[in-house]
Amino acid sequence: MKIPKFLAAIFFITLLSLLYVWQQTEIFRLAYAAQKQQTSFQNLLDKNTVLRYNIKRDSSLTRLGNKFFQQSDFQMPETYHLVRLEYSKGNMVLSESQPNKEGILSRLFGIKRQAEAKTIKSPNPLVVGSY
Amino acid sequence: MYIVNHHRRINAVFLLFFIFLAFCIARLLFIQFFRATYLKGIAKKQYNLFVELEPRRGTIYDANLKPQAVNISIDSLYAVPNEIPELDKERITKKLSPILDMDYSSLKDKLYRQKAFIWLARKITPGQTEAIKKLNIKGLGFLKETKRCYPNGYLASHLVGFAGLDNVGLEGLELLYDRSLKGENGFAFFLRDARQKRLDLYENMVVPKDGYDLILTIDEVIQYIAEREIDKVYRAYRANSASIIVMDPHTGAILALAKRPTFDLNEYAKVSRAQIHDSAICDLFEPGSVFKIVTASAALEEKKVVEEDKFFCENGSYKVATHILHDHTPHGWLTFREVITESSNIGTTKVAQILGPQTLYRYVRLFGFGEKLGIDLPGEISGSIKEPRLWSKVSIGAIPIGQEVGVTALQLVSAVSVIANGGQLMKPYLVREIRDKYGETIKAISPQLIRKVISIDTASRMKKILTGVVEDGTGKLAKVPGFTVAGKTGTAQKLEPNGAYSHDKFIASFIGFAPAEDPAISVVVTVDEPRPYYFGGVVAAPVFKNVVSDTLKYLKTHPSVLEALASHETDRDN
Repeated sequence: MKIPKFLAAIFFITLLSLLYVWQQTEIFRLAYAAQKQQTSFQNLLDKNTVLRYNIKRDSSLTRLGNKFFQQSDFQMPETYHLVRLEYSKGNMVLSESQPNKEGILSRLFGIKRQAEAKTIKSPNPLVVGSY
Repeated sequence: MYIVNHHRRINAVFLLFFIFLAFCIARLLFIQFFRATYLKGIAKKQYNLFVELEPRRGTIYDANLKPQAVNISIDSLYAVPNEIPELDKERITKKLSPILDMDYSSLKDKLYRQKAFIWLARKITPGQTEAIKKLNIKGLGFLKETKRCYPNGYLASHLVGFAGLDNVGLEGLELLYDRSLKGENGFAFFLRDARQKRLDLYENMVVPKDGYDLILTIDEVIQYIAEREIDKVYRAYRANSASIIVMDPHTGAILALAKRPTFDLNEYAKVSRAQIHDSAICDLFEPGSVFKIVTASAALEEKKVVEEDKFFCENGSYKVATHILHDHTPHGWLTFREVITESSNIGTTKVAQILGPQTLYRYVRLFGFGEKLGIDLPGEISGSIKEPRLWSKVSIGAIPIGQEVGVTALQLVSAVSVIANGGQLMKPYLVREIRDKYGETIKAISPQLIRKVISIDTASRMKKILTGVVEDGTGKLAKVPGFTVAGKTGTAQKLEPNGAYSHDKFIASFIGFAPAEDPAISVVVTVDEPRPYYFGGVVAAPVFKNVVSDTLKYLKTHPSVLEALASHETDRDN
């Protein structure tokens, strides 16, 4: 009677030990796998940060401004140069209330600059945000 | 006999085993009870890796949350010279030297050192990393570090400042707010395997506390406009230096602060101290005629004069003690208003003589000269103004016209803002808010009133006089179509090393605000030693005009700006 109990106890202890060892190896295996994925994820994240930084740097005012003002004599827009866009049914449309349109007299006699943000030296007209 | 001997032998073996077992048990007990802590420590050192966790340094944003200083994760290259075969070192050096843009001999020297770890190049570009990885060289490795980067390069470089290789603030706001920006380090004990590789399983971890973000009062667009215009004048007039400050006169918030010569924040290691030096707050100079706004304001506030009082300007030559004072154009009788619009030195001196040294000195101090205004930038100086007991007999003919006083550009823009905002001296500031990484406000910085300097009535009368300076006086080139502008020109002679005033070295300046009725911005422009022209009205006033014109177009939300723009366009249509 004692021997079966002893054997059973040994069996359970062995089973628990094996379970513990298996659990530990699983933890490490998963840790390695997770670490590998984490490294890839971090690398992608870092690349993303660098690319975003490059976009910020390339679209910075210093870069764009120098390009426009030094090469093409870009001018600050007047209020009537600006258009207001509204979101309507999935499309961007010109707002009906354009508060600062160019006056009819000035348009007829052409006494002021057109609403386009014109390039003077560059052959390609620049029409960003103007009409 | 044989059996007895056999039993003895067995007993002896058992005894030996027992003694051995007893020894082992005793040893184990000894280790368990007396050596456990020590051995546990050694074991921990083998499988535990202490890693300091670097916090994220806070981002610096402009007023519209456009980033001015950010962190990017970047590789640093190290070598394990002991792992690189001696024969390969020469070849590796030849390959790495052009990629890293490093001196061949210094790179070779590093690789030939008998060390287990050595940095070859820290914080290299992603392109360099890729190129080196392709070479697949044994004994080289990369470690991730964060690098402080400035997407706008030279924009606002003097005020943003920069952080060094170890992400510690070295200049400007990066230095002053270093404690808020850098955060607190954390640490963790990571497990490592038999190959000494780190495993992301940790026993104990203290999470690093990321640095706070700074939101500045600077507006990137206005800053760019200011930089562009100051750069033009600096180049066109081959000046020694030039600076500009744009301020919101009602709050004291600095909207732009630029200086030439300047530098690219990403290349800070390659520039000289002179380029880094912020002359707008660290340099004092004699302001010249722009200082007359103080004398005029004091005279009006003390009710010693009114605008139509007449002063005889001695036809351009007036003796004060041992010195003879001149006007740049001789004048006869001028009203008080004309004295300022025509910038008559003699007329202003006569006004100051009515006021007396004590009163004039009191107003100079009230306007904030001779004291630090408390801007949140390192290196601000107080300037210099002598107490009346130290004045010479000539001083009453010098101080009212901006000589014998040392001021900073920041003090000048604050002083002209006093007139613009109705008589209040506001504390200039650059940081509007400190936020944590979740966007929660940690500290909000509100405008602070330093003191009331002059009455609203005096400020309003001064506005009209200064508007006259631009409309009919010395500052005509500062006129901005569509807006009423108030300002004052200044052309100050520089001091020679022997103490005499120079006849060919000048500081041209212009201070003013717009729209004059309800100012949205006040501006100071100073140009040091412009050539060949040197008058403030010729050199500095056009800069003011261009900056004000573009800034007001940009600041279309300001009611007075909107109103002025609307009326200007109506006028043009009709």
